[in-house]
Amino acid sequence: MDNVLSKIGRTWVNTRCVRLMLELVEGRTAQFVLLIIVLAAIYVVSGIAKRKQLKTRGIPGLERIDEWIKEAGKLGRSVFFTPGTGGMTQSDTLAGLALLGYVAKHCVESNAKLIVANSDAQVQQATEDLVKGAYAKAGREKEYSPDMVRYVSPRQFAYAAGVMGILRREKPAVNFFVGDFQAEALQVAEAGRTEAIAQFGGTSNIDQLPFFMTTCDQTLIGEELYTAQGYLSSDPEAIANLVGPDAGKALAILLILAGALLITFGNSILIALMGL
Amino acid sequence: MSSDKKKMTREELGLQIIIFSLGFFYATVYYIAAPGTIDLQAVSDKLLAYLTAVLTAGFAVGVINIVRVHTINIKRRRATWKYSVLLIICLFGMAIFSVIASPYALDPNAAVIPASVIAFATPIWEFLYYKIFVNVNASIFSLLAFFIASAAYRAFKARTLESTLLLAAGLLVMLGQAPITVLLFPGFGAIREWILAFPNTAGQRGILIGLALGVLAFSVRRLFRYPWRG
Repeated sequence: MDNVLSKIGRTWVNTRCVRLMLELVEGRTAQFVLLIIVLAAIYVVSGIAKRKQLKTRGIPGLERIDEWIKEAGKLGRSVFFTPGTGGMTQSDTLAGLALLGYVAKHCVESNAKLIVANSDAQVQQATEDLVKGAYAKAGREKEYSPDMVRYVSPRQFAYAAGVMGILRREKPAVNFFVGDFQAEALQVAEAGRTEAIAQFGGTSNIDQLPFFMTTCDQTLIGEELYTAQGYLSSDPEAIANLVGPDAGKALAILLILAGALLITFGNSILIALMGL
Repeated sequence: MSSDKKKMTREELGLQIIIFSLGFFYATVYYIAAPGTIDLQAVSDKLLAYLTAVLTAGFAVGVINIVRVHTINIKRRRATWKYSVLLIICLFGMAIFSVIASPYALDPNAAVIPASVIAFATPIWEFLYYKIFVNVNASIFSLLAFFIASAAYRAFKARTLESTLLLAAGLLVMLGQAPITVLLFPGFGAIREWILAFPNTAGQRGILIGLALGVLAFSVRRLFRYPWRG
């Protein structure tokens, strides 16, 4: 299979105009084929979901974000958000930033002061841009203050100590810990728990997820982290994109079942195919 | 819930083209090679080195923000303004001593900075780093033990069926982990291993498969849309 795909690749690219020999990297053929199949499944199912306006399953707790922010505004207390210790190349951080855009917008609408703490200088710039943008969009640029978005430290535990300090001093009403978290996850979430009326957590790090589950009122698990922002928007395209990955999951379940059955009967063809 | 979809600005479109090109290139390099013509992996590594250089330069933005935030604290005489003074002194003090005397010193051979200055700064840097920073860092890390105890206490309260199951599983794993209980009843070790190898692994893999698919859909979406516009 590897050879056939390589030959197709060579024939396709090696024309008179482009004298470039391309071939699939050895051992990644099966991954590449699976990627194409899963992407195609996601694309087709998302298209169907968009056309038929399919409803997606809910993500518990997301609807309450607006309610919590409004409550913080009414109490005259702040809302705290941190995207964790990851950099801009981490998908968790990007997912956190997508949610921050939503939180910032609602904080401006509810007159709740938003405090953001960062551990990475590039994430600092992106979060500044987001929070400033939310105030600018509402025509209230003057209300933005540089101490709303704070750079704490690139060092993991210095960041943890800084965030714990902010949480103790500012006593925010709602805390969001959504992004890339490591060992500092429990420290910041436990420190926030004492004063906050609500906490919201989300990370793809499965070692830290249990800590968020025990300390936060709502936690985004698994792919919910990446779909939360899309779910919160009423954009039909975004909603359709949430349904798409479910097709990939169905495919994964089928592969697992097929693999389990085949190996039970002593056939290892699927393992050999996956190893290509 | 509201939709705020609008057309991209020219700057955003330019940025999106760069994001798409680089993202597509990195994804392609993982699967496809061009032997004999161009070493795509080497190009990818070179680009990553440029990215690291740009990211390092961006560090200055962080320092500027720290100084601005804490200067505001001092000017407005907020409750913690004295700590802000201390923080700014530590920030610049440590930076100066690190530049002169740390393993990453700018002039370790004393070509420009006089040797006497380096000799004076070295024990101070060592004291600040090894006697203060390392110990404070370890102390903050050690706080985790107490936080884990309080989080575990909350998690193991048998209020619902799920938390009761968690409590039972947690107790069995702990009993299987402790040497004395395994001595009393060796079965605890086997039970612990079974819980970790089967129900625990199955649950974790379910989450991982969901995560992988979520990242895939999210990444493709990000290749076509400005990252922080949603």
